[in-house]
Amino acid sequence: MKLNKILISLVTLIFIVGFGFPAGAEKINVGALNDMTGATSDVGKDYALGIAEAIHYVNDTGGINGKEIKLYQFDYGYRVPEALTKYNLFKRLNCVAVLGWGTGDTEALSPTVTKDKMPYVSASYSGHLTDPKKTPYNLFFATDYSSNARAAITAWYDKKWPQHEDYGKRKPRFACCYMFASPYCSAPIKAVKDQAEILGFEIGSDQDVSLFAVDTKSQILALKKFSPDLVWHGNTVMSVSATLRDAYALDLGAAHIINNWGFDENLPRLAGEAAEGAMGVAPVAFFGEDVPGMDKVVEYAKKYNPGVALEKRLIHTVQAWTNVLGLAEAMRRADKAGGLDGENILKKGFETMQGYDEIGLGMPPVTITPTDQRISGKVSIYEWKDGEFSLVENVDLESRWPKKWENEWMGW
Amino acid sequence: MSTTFLPCGDYHENYRQDHAWWQTKLIKAKMILLLGILFVYIPLFADSYYISVCNQIGYTVLGTLGVQLLIGFCGQLTLGHAAFLAVGAYTSTLLVLEFPWPGFLVDWGLSYPISIFLAAVVAGLWSVLFGLPSAKVKGFYLILTTMAAQFITVDFVITQYVSQIGGRGQAFSLPPGTIKVGPWVIDSDVKVYLMMLVLVVICITGMLNLIRSRVGRAWIAIRDNDISAEVMGINVVKYKLFAFFVAGFIGGLAGAFWISNLAAVSPEHFPWFWSLWLVGVILIGGVGSIHGAVFGSIFMVVVMELLQLAVIPLADTYPKLLMDFLFIKEAAFGLAICVFLIFEPNGLAYRWWQVKNYFNLWPFSY
Amino acid sequence: MDLFLMTLTTGIMVGGIYALVALGWVLIYKCSGVLNLAMGEMTLIGAYVCLSFYTAGVPFLLSLLFSLIIGLILGVIVERVFLDRLIGEPVLTVIMVTVGLSFFFKGIIELIWGTDTRVFTPPVFPLKPLHIGPLIIGQVYLWSFVAAIILLCLFVAFFQYTRWGLAMQATADDEMAALSLGVSARFVYATAWAIAFMAAGVGGTLLGNINGLNISVGYLGLLVLPAVVLGGLNSVPGAIVGGIVIGVLQNLSGAYLDQFVPGGIKEIAPFAFMAIFLLFKPYGLWGWERIERV
Repeated sequence: MKLNKILISLVTLIFIVGFGFPAGAEKINVGALNDMTGATSDVGKDYALGIAEAIHYVNDTGGINGKEIKLYQFDYGYRVPEALTKYNLFKRLNCVAVLGWGTGDTEALSPTVTKDKMPYVSASYSGHLTDPKKTPYNLFFATDYSSNARAAITAWYDKKWPQHEDYGKRKPRFACCYMFASPYCSAPIKAVKDQAEILGFEIGSDQDVSLFAVDTKSQILALKKFSPDLVWHGNTVMSVSATLRDAYALDLGAAHIINNWGFDENLPRLAGEAAEGAMGVAPVAFFGEDVPGMDKVVEYAKKYNPGVALEKRLIHTVQAWTNVLGLAEAMRRADKAGGLDGENILKKGFETMQGYDEIGLGMPPVTITPTDQRISGKVSIYEWKDGEFSLVENVDLESRWPKKWENEWMGW
Repeated sequence: MSTTFLPCGDYHENYRQDHAWWQTKLIKAKMILLLGILFVYIPLFADSYYISVCNQIGYTVLGTLGVQLLIGFCGQLTLGHAAFLAVGAYTSTLLVLEFPWPGFLVDWGLSYPISIFLAAVVAGLWSVLFGLPSAKVKGFYLILTTMAAQFITVDFVITQYVSQIGGRGQAFSLPPGTIKVGPWVIDSDVKVYLMMLVLVVICITGMLNLIRSRVGRAWIAIRDNDISAEVMGINVVKYKLFAFFVAGFIGGLAGAFWISNLAAVSPEHFPWFWSLWLVGVILIGGVGSIHGAVFGSIFMVVVMELLQLAVIPLADTYPKLLMDFLFIKEAAFGLAICVFLIFEPNGLAYRWWQVKNYFNLWPFSY
Repeated sequence: MDLFLMTLTTGIMVGGIYALVALGWVLIYKCSGVLNLAMGEMTLIGAYVCLSFYTAGVPFLLSLLFSLIIGLILGVIVERVFLDRLIGEPVLTVIMVTVGLSFFFKGIIELIWGTDTRVFTPPVFPLKPLHIGPLIIGQVYLWSFVAAIILLCLFVAFFQYTRWGLAMQATADDEMAALSLGVSARFVYATAWAIAFMAAGVGGTLLGNINGLNISVGYLGLLVLPAVVLGGLNSVPGAIVGGIVIGVLQNLSGAYLDQFVPGGIKEIAPFAFMAIFLLFKPYGLWGWERIERV
């Protein structure tokens, strides 16, 4: 009986505490969805830590015109159903904006988010979220996946193909490895193949590599029949490193271009010698690089998460900072110009950013217009060689293909 | 029904009373009070959070009814039921979003209710397809074939093919306002709740009637000893397949109903974990009775919600602590299932039955 | 032809590892009648323990030995604490308890070791592949296969030639008779679980060597089920053959069927195959047919 009494009082306590949301003075609620335990947790954990630290920074430097941001951060394990329930929770908590994560749930939520007029700044840089006619409330502060992929294949074509022994004798061969069923992985595929055709590649069939894959031998063996010169990797670091290792073990002999969530400081640790020469997209500066603003990132990483070694922090922390700083600036502008409702944040906040470059952290200047939500057309492609990341090329898609950039390439 | 003894002093005088659903005036009064609370009081006075919890309970009840039918009443072990919910949900979504309905149906708001029915039929047929092995295998092997059904349906057919129809990628978006039943747009928790209640009442009534009928008796015979049942002249294969059909039908109803509560449908809503969850729910609630399905659902959903609420204060501290809590939650859940099954193998319905009979037979409940 | 040979050999080698885990599963079923759905997580525990020892500097074979010992202890504990009380309960309850156990193990593993992929550094087997004739074989696969075969032989020898092994065989054959001869059933159950943990642990370690260890290696536990169904639930050689066949099937379907039915066929091919196979041979290749009496 005593045990029952204890249990009942504990349950009631949890109930009360759970429902007692602190009513702070003048707090702005922002929701954050992160993946710390799911399919993309290898990159999601670092991003989640970055979000929390960046919000602390924003609050420490004046908040939103004096008002503090209260962050409701949840792990949803890359499962769309959890994302949906958490979104409903955010609405119930009166959040003015959401910092999202995965492509699947972001794209699934985008019609709802548009109806609710809820600004949604995601870690998904999917090209499908860049058209303000379809998804006005979905934004992000990085170059989108499709542009990234186009830039990556262009950089290899510009800098590496001329050094190949078969240059000039035949078309280079190109194939993609990614998880077919994942919207994040398949987002840039159409665009990268379009770019391959523009540049004159011969395109082979795609290989399905799961985000969880630890064994990709059969996919590599199937690729060997086509013997590609260049392979695009659409997954996160875990499975990309497995693919690289298998490609090395089976002597595939192709160069690799990797999307930004598969290319970070962990890749050489996991793939070992197989990662030598791999190229990839880096939308911001790597963690600890000497660029404006990085000192604050490192300082806050040390301050708020001393348990995680600084050498283990990744570029994704920096990506989190750029999203948070961008959102904070938009909210500040909207707050000055009338109020923090969704439409205001979009029109008087985001859409007033023309050539905004105060974020630093290795980002190109941000330009958001009512007709184009791609922040920039400049993408940096790096390469892992001799123990460090070195820049291969900064591809300016907008000036090389201005007509296509403006008229054809947005939104996919 | 037959597990409950009538209150002391009550007796029947004719068959009609004996067959009645609500056998005494007291029971009638209690049931009408219950229906009143469910249909009137809760929608009017409860906070929308509680209503959403009730919706979750209703969805679980509909899901577990099918599993209870197969495992508890027919003895077919099934570990892949989420696949049929998925079939129902996706059929209904595709019908609502992509099918060119004639104008008047859309205007009268009949497209969704018709799609629910069609989705349930499709799910039932799909269930029969994967129930075919039950004609030859049983026990553990049947578990494996139903598991195969789960993986093949959700992880393969739906994820790779059905999801790619029309839109791009994994999920079909259902922004608020897409679903209409008659003149009402389903865009709030209360409306979903009322729809859920109607469906749950219909399904429970239907199931109870089936169990009381010849079909139900055949199922129970198959469950208890299928060789004897066959010897007695029951067409075992036919009734097994019919059980799969009805279970799939109810599962399809559950899935099709659930999409009205979601902003998007993705195959991740129906993982293998959900199949295991449904079986766990009926084991905790009590195998072999509708009460078991309902009690199990209420208990499990409430417990999970309490655990989720306990997480919110923790969200203030660092994400790392939050992450650890999630793992602890998973381990605790596994441990809880083991403990429950070891110490309370007959489930909650058994306890309920004991308590109820104590009061019914009082003062002679010894 | 090259592709076929290479996928075949890779399949056989991976299948050797599956066979090891399947062996553990069949043991548990034969001796105690428990259908164990927690096999995947048991693989993970052994593998992570070995990884922890290895990263702490202990040489590989020694860490493998330690993980075997810990597996043994864990097997005995799990059996005593959880499974002993379930003797006599219906099949479904026992299965659900193993399911609960699998969630419990998964939570504990994630708590202690996190969800990141970890690799054995420095690599236990060199990354560079061997070229044998037209085949390119990763060294990991070759050595894993050899290790799996050695362990299989060890286990089979244990059953044939030691007293304990004979006792286990006797219990599996006819429990009543064995009990009447003085064999302790509880001892046999505990040993069965201990051996299963050990076998699973080694299997997990070998798999983890291939490309890194993370939670998803545990899905292997699900693959064991088609393997044992194929071979027959009661049969030890059946488990071995079943494991190898499933390994080959997976790789072949991944390489060939992917063109016709793109995406994900590799994962479900074993299950689809098993479902069809069961229609023709409901008890597997060497399983004992249950003759039911009314």
